[in-house]
Amino acid sequence: MDISTGSHLPLSRAMKLLCLLVALTAGLSLLYGIQYYAGGPLRLAVTSPVYDLAVSGDGNLVAAGAQDGAIRLWNIANGWNMLTLAGHTGPVTGVAFDSSASTLFSVGQDGKVLIWDVQTVLSAGSTGGQAKKVLATADGPLNSLAVAANGSLLATIGKDGIVRVWDPESGQVLQAIGPGESTKLAVALSHDGTLVAAGDGEQIQIWEARTGISLHRLEGYVEGEETEGQPGQGEKVTALAFSPDGNYLASGSDGGTVLIWDIEKSKVAWATKGHLASVTKVVFDASSEYLLSSGADNYVRRWRVSGGKFAGLFGGHLGTVTSVAFGADADTIISGGSDGSVRLWDGVNQLERHLVWTRLGLMPVWGTVLAAWMLGSGLLGLVLAWGLWRVHTWGHLGSLALYTIGPLFSIVLPLLETTAYPISWSVRLNIAWPLILLLVWYIFLVAYIRHDAIAIPYQAPEATSLAEQLMAARRSGNIRFGLFVMATWLFIFILLFSVLRRFGLDIAFMRKWLPFIMGGAGLTMFISAAAIALATILALIGALARLSNNPAANGISGFYISLIRGTPLLVQIFIWYLALPQLGITLEPKLAGILALGVNYGAYMTEIFRAGIQAIGIGQYEAAHALGMSSSQTFRRIVMPQALRIVIPPIGNEFIAMMKDSALVSMITVQELTFRAQKLGRQNFRNLETFLIAAAFYWILTIVFQFFQGKLETYMARGERR
Amino acid sequence: MTEPIIKVHGLHKYFGPLHVIKGVDLEVMPREVVVIIGPSGAGKSTFLRCLNFLEEPSDGTVEIDGVEIRAREPGREHRRRIQEIRQKAGMVFQQFNLFPHMTALGNIIEAPITVKKMPEEKAIAKAEELLAWVGLSEKRDEYPSRLSGGQQQRVAIARALAMEPKIMLFDEPTSALDPELIGEVVEVMERLANEGMTMVVVTHEMHFARDVADRIIFMDEGVWVEMGPPDELLTNPKEERTKRFLAHIL
Ligand SMILES: Nc1ncnc2c1ncn2[C@@H]1O[C@H](COP(=O)(O)OP(=O)(O)OP(=O)(O)O)[C@@H](O)[C@H]1O
Ligand SMILES: [Mg+2]
Repeated sequence: MDISTGSHLPLSRAMKLLCLLVALTAGLSLLYGIQYYAGGPLRLAVTSPVYDLAVSGDGNLVAAGAQDGAIRLWNIANGWNMLTLAGHTGPVTGVAFDSSASTLFSVGQDGKVLIWDVQTVLSAGSTGGQAKKVLATADGPLNSLAVAANGSLLATIGKDGIVRVWDPESGQVLQAIGPGESTKLAVALSHDGTLVAAGDGEQIQIWEARTGISLHRLEGYVEGEETEGQPGQGEKVTALAFSPDGNYLASGSDGGTVLIWDIEKSKVAWATKGHLASVTKVVFDASSEYLLSSGADNYVRRWRVSGGKFAGLFGGHLGTVTSVAFGADADTIISGGSDGSVRLWDGVNQLERHLVWTRLGLMPVWGTVLAAWMLGSGLLGLVLAWGLWRVHTWGHLGSLALYTIGPLFSIVLPLLETTAYPISWSVRLNIAWPLILLLVWYIFLVAYIRHDAIAIPYQAPEATSLAEQLMAARRSGNIRFGLFVMATWLFIFILLFSVLRRFGLDIAFMRKWLPFIMGGAGLTMFISAAAIALATILALIGALARLSNNPAANGISGFYISLIRGTPLLVQIFIWYLALPQLGITLEPKLAGILALGVNYGAYMTEIFRAGIQAIGIGQYEAAHALGMSSSQTFRRIVMPQALRIVIPPIGNEFIAMMKDSALVSMITVQELTFRAQKLGRQNFRNLETFLIAAAFYWILTIVFQFFQGKLETYMARGERR
Repeated sequence: MTEPIIKVHGLHKYFGPLHVIKGVDLEVMPREVVVIIGPSGAGKSTFLRCLNFLEEPSDGTVEIDGVEIRAREPGREHRRRIQEIRQKAGMVFQQFNLFPHMTALGNIIEAPITVKKMPEEKAIAKAEELLAWVGLSEKRDEYPSRLSGGQQQRVAIARALAMEPKIMLFDEPTSALDPELIGEVVEVMERLANEGMTMVVVTHEMHFARDVADRIIFMDEGVWVEMGPPDELLTNPKEERTKRFLAHIL
């Protein structure tokens, strides 16, 4: 470090420039992160959510319709070689092969039905060629597609709620049924093409396909049976499929229920609460032996058709599994999800065997990680740039290192990950050039900082004396220290956030359910406040009894303290709520919780009060007595206020501890914060998300209350010597 | 002929086996200022505290302004009389013992309001008067922790006076003070004596004893060794113990 270089410069120009550069880079990173999360156009890693997926009968071809309007066709036999079929102008909502795999059908939100000749498409090479035929409605988006085995008949459902039966040969709509009263979300066509079924709200209707004559109406359970509380009651039908043998109809609902209907008897053969969230698709294998269901709970489940026995769970998707199909046999399973992936599963071992993404590019996971880094390091950089400017010095390379490690990390790792794709370096560069640009930029920045001219010693232009300079130096040291502490916090947050995102933290889910979980916060606060009030009263009485020379009072108080302190809080809560009823005392859960917490904390706080009262000197009593004040007046007016001032800080601590311990009352069905988090987490398989919200809430609350407690403490101590 | 306002007869005090006050008698006339001196451990404080029953005497009687109490009499009446005597006898402590959670004014109005049920405005008016009298008007709203020792003791005197006592008991009021602060407290006590307050003062402040006291008592080992007017006792003590003590402190 060359001290003389900078000694005559108040704030070196190089330094100023550095601050500006850092700020600029940080600003850009920040902008990138913000636009990424706001859904902006710049995405270094993109995939398109798969909406529907179909597998040819021989199991060799997989077609996936995606949000970006393209259909991707993979040839499994040919090393998952991918073709992209462009034709739809909106998201592709349904794809299906005929049984010979000579024709591929697709529908989209652009209202079109496209018919593709598979041979033509395959021979056309990577561009995929043109659709053979286009059928269109003017009535808006089509949401679902079903095809008869021989490809002679199609059924679609539109957003308008109308079920249309098409003749692909002539392009005519043979039947247009509906719209019914409720939304129709699913359609199915029997393999021989005779029956068409559609979910109509909570019911399922079956018509003869060509004539539109209504045949069956499957409505909950058969009359006379107990229907209340059965699975699937009151849930909307979201997925439908006929079994190839024509005996069964499978349905899935938005509540996660899977039902198998015996069509002849119009009766539920079996039912299961198969998924923790909405079912997105159900499908039979060719022999009608197995059924697959996919769900918004990110899982695929396999069932045995006869008896409904569970036969496998497939998990790995990072979002809703939107679609699922059998491959060559019942042990090959292919699924597509909103994370933009298509996965091949081994049904025997329940393992993921292959994974492809709907667009070549960085994996979507790293995309979000990167964006998080950019966001975080952008903030960090701005803070540091500001700090450099304030402090007028650059002493620690560490702070910039901290700032650069993040982005470097997030640039290098995704780049490495692209090597997983069978693409040439030119393509890779084409995808990654913004990243490489950033990388170069960062290297430049770090190199520039290492330059001696920047590393000037501390400057204090306005300081005249040595003492002033030293003072200023210390202050700048303090500011820098504070900055590092701040930066470290931020760094930890970014790291945590990124890691959690990497493991599929569902932000949308958190956002959606935040109000629900927070709805329990009021109760948490109420219980804590009520319990602390009770505890304060008990503690005051307990302390007075403990200090009195009445043996009975002293004994009762000692017994209470010993008993409560010697038993676990959780056991006490259960005694109040579960054991007391045996003595004929039944308490409401909330009341039981408040009593349990209050009585428990009362015992602990007795000691606090006792110490507080004992801390008041004998002189205070004497002065009050000498003025003619009675014992009770002395206690109320002189001793209590002073003792309170002593005990308020520890009571504040107890209150904060109480807020955290109040989580225990979730064990006795009090619907406070923790209870809600637990319930929601269990139902949706989203424990990480829900408990993260709960933890964050407790944390924030604790911080806020610590702040106020500090204020209260200063206020109460106003009579003390400063 | 006026009656004595304080009459103590045959007062004994034991702390367990320790015989601290060994049967003393004392009569103090209204407007009289009595100073008690004596070596440490003589029982001066204990005697003073027996007068307003902060210590319960072991034997004897105490009568203040016509309220007579026999030592160790059980019952409600006894306690009522103690309260009565305490209102008639204001006390000032060596350690001030101000209430730290109240302002100077708060300290002064506390007892009149809670004990005498005086209306607040009246108590405040009276307190302001007393603060002015001890020269601390501008410290009205200060907390004790922000007052000097001398100021605190003056507030303590005002606090005792607020109860409009018939007599004032001082237990070494200046002993805890820095030398330069003693004067301001002594000055207030002198004014109080000049205005005709009956005072019993335990002090080592010989100027005060000489100039203000009507009578000085030398106490040692729980008894009056010698008693007399200041010039007599201070300049010409009869007892050997008194001589030794005075030689020691003068
Ligand atoms: N509460 C008590 N319990 C036991 N002994 C006590 C108590 N108060 C005072 N004594 C004892 O009584 C004796 C007289 O004490 P006292 O405080 O009256 O002396 P004093 O004359 O005021 O002395 P000083 O000048 O040091 O204040 C001392 O020996 C003391 O130890
Ligand atoms: Mg004493």
